Amino acid sequence: MAPLKSLQREFPIIDCNFQQFCASHGIYSVEDFLVHDLYSLVASAEQQSSSEELREGISQVISIIGSQHQPWSNGVELLGDAQKNKHVLPTGCEGIDMLLQGGLRVGHVTELVGPSPSGKTQVCLQAASNVAVKFMGVVMFLDTCNSFSPRRMACFINQHFNTPVEEVTQKGLKRVMSSILCQSVFDIFSLLDVLRQLELKLQFQVNTGDCKLRLLIIDSISSLITPILGGNGAHGHSLMIFTGFLLKKLAHEYNISVLDAPPPSAEDFLVFFRKRLRALAPAPATLLPFGSDHHPTTAPVTNHMVCGEGGILKPALGESWKSIPHVRLLLSHDRRSNSYNISILKHPVMVSGRAASFTVYG
Amino acid sequence: MSIKEWINTNESAKEMLERVLTERPFLLLPPLHRVPLRVGNVVEIVGPSPSAKTEILIQAAISCVLPKQWNGVHYGGLERLVMYIDLDCRFDILRLSQSLKLRIMETKRSSDQIDWSREEGLCKYKETKETIADFDEDLFLACMRRFLYVCCYNSFEFLSTLKTLHYQLQKESEAHGVAVHFLMIDSISAFYWIDRASTPLPLGFDKRKSLSLQTVAETVVQEIRKLLQMQPMLVLVTKATLFGDGSLTSNAKRTFRKWHSQDTSYLRTLQLDDQKYLHREYMPSVWQLFITHRILLRVSDEECANAESRSTPIYVSEWLLPSLSFVDKFMVKDAGISMVT
Repeated sequence: MAPLKSLQREFPIIDCNFQQFCASHGIYSVEDFLVHDLYSLVASAEQQSSSEELREGISQVISIIGSQHQPWSNGVELLGDAQKNKHVLPTGCEGIDMLLQGGLRVGHVTELVGPSPSGKTQVCLQAASNVAVKFMGVVMFLDTCNSFSPRRMACFINQHFNTPVEEVTQKGLKRVMSSILCQSVFDIFSLLDVLRQLELKLQFQVNTGDCKLRLLIIDSISSLITPILGGNGAHGHSLMIFTGFLLKKLAHEYNISVLDAPPPSAEDFLVFFRKRLRALAPAPATLLPFGSDHHPTTAPVTNHMVCGEGGILKPALGESWKSIPHVRLLLSHDRRSNSYNISILKHPVMVSGRAASFTVYG
Repeated sequence: MSIKEWINTNESAKEMLERVLTERPFLLLPPLHRVPLRVGNVVEIVGPSPSAKTEILIQAAISCVLPKQWNGVHYGGLERLVMYIDLDCRFDILRLSQSLKLRIMETKRSSDQIDWSREEGLCKYKETKETIADFDEDLFLACMRRFLYVCCYNSFEFLSTLKTLHYQLQKESEAHGVAVHFLMIDSISAFYWIDRASTPLPLGFDKRKSLSLQTVAETVVQEIRKLLQMQPMLVLVTKATLFGDGSLTSNAKRTFRKWHSQDTSYLRTLQLDDQKYLHREYMPSVWQLFITHRILLRVSDEECANAESRSTPIYVSEWLLPSLSFVDKFMVKDAGISMVT
């Protein structure tokens, strides 16, 4: 937040005298105002010789503070926004769409959790192709472990074009493939960088009125976050939660700003990513001391080994991460029937525990 | 002050009773019904995610925004405003609207049925269907309008919301003609990690109060306390257990039980540990002291299998402050929370 000095040009009432008065109370920026008791500040301003101007200055800062938070809304407005902007995007996997009553909800951060081969990437690719083909939307695929396969993607897309004419298929494929943007990110900082750029771009696009981004996929987020967790410092967790809030903001915000301004185009946006399950040693090992509620990075992916014996699989990233996603879905793969199972771990509207199965073709 | 003035009565018993009765509308929501809560209390709902914390807030909000009576039907609500500050940014309005609709329809249906039993001989089944059809849209919208919402993506936004809250609440109360009764914060721990690692703008002055977990908590407490003096409200706050409950998840425990069904001593130690690590406090002490009531939630090992062959988790609630010895079990259904006996 801005230092008071830099506000002087815009608001002449915040002059040298006012800044000096604030400095005598240890206030140098708008940020400092937030942690200061404004009532006692006003009271001490009353005792100064130029109390009138000081009070005016304080109320100016308060009005700046008032513009810093998100707008207020009531239930009717929220519901209107939800019905207008927060559609569902079908993933194209029948089982999942049935389970989620239509598909992934716009504005939600959906998390896919599952052991290593459980179809997480397949669901991501399928959802990307479905959204790109049927909704003409742009899909952004942030790839953290080189799991994006253009060939597999083309395979999914081709299922949508059932024409024998080779040329039409080729043309359609080209169009759809060009609307799926893939970017490799290999550490948390480049992820934050990409998300920040995306935010700026979306802000600009909302203003100009052409925004087509509908789906943001991060496959997988845990491989970026797990390396920074651990140790005694809070910085790893701080970055993790920060990333989470940035995702939630991206997902949600661009509908709110559409609500305020006249809606430019149906602009939907959704964050969707997957996460790996890691095996967890049973019993006292989990009673770890403060600050290490997650498991060390070196823990090998031994899920298939312990699974049969009753070992416990637990989603990576620990307890703090649980407050980030809106929806958590657990995936598993049944090898014998080659079908995938999915169940709801958490959903804001639906009762958790429901399950369904689906198959991935191609 | 003269002695006579000092002896003089402040209010008569009648006046006091009136005041107390308005200040203490009894709250009869299933997990919160054990302790009489009144305005000015700060209730902290602690539990891992998911443990139906937000659901409890939503159900409390519904009882607050519903009117006491509407078109001759008794809804038993408070008809007051609810202020919901969403720090987790995960609130889904569809859950509130769905649950509110169900509550309105159910109340209406049951009250209609009472009427019918008085005048017998009517075709009951047909009438029930008609009641569902003419769902009261006006009532629904009036209730939804009484629900006020703001979301915050970081501590700055939260603090600036609190700083300007009094002014906003006054404006809203005047517009609606009723006061705010509940202040809800979901969840207070949302920015814990970010604040813990935050470094303020380096301006290089010693006297400066830097923004940290401690100062944020202090300011939040200070602001809410001020707000409560001017505008009496019941504060409901959720808090996630960030450090795990120190035990294995319910799934894990269940598997353990299968494993060690013969080894009972092992199981007992596990459960003891479970009790000990159940709730680890991590918020600054200034916040802890501000809390007047605390209820702990967790997911129980049991599950309730219902007709549709899917299992619904059963949640357990336990009062820690004031500490009550018994635990309640409840379930979350589409229509809301229901107790398990």
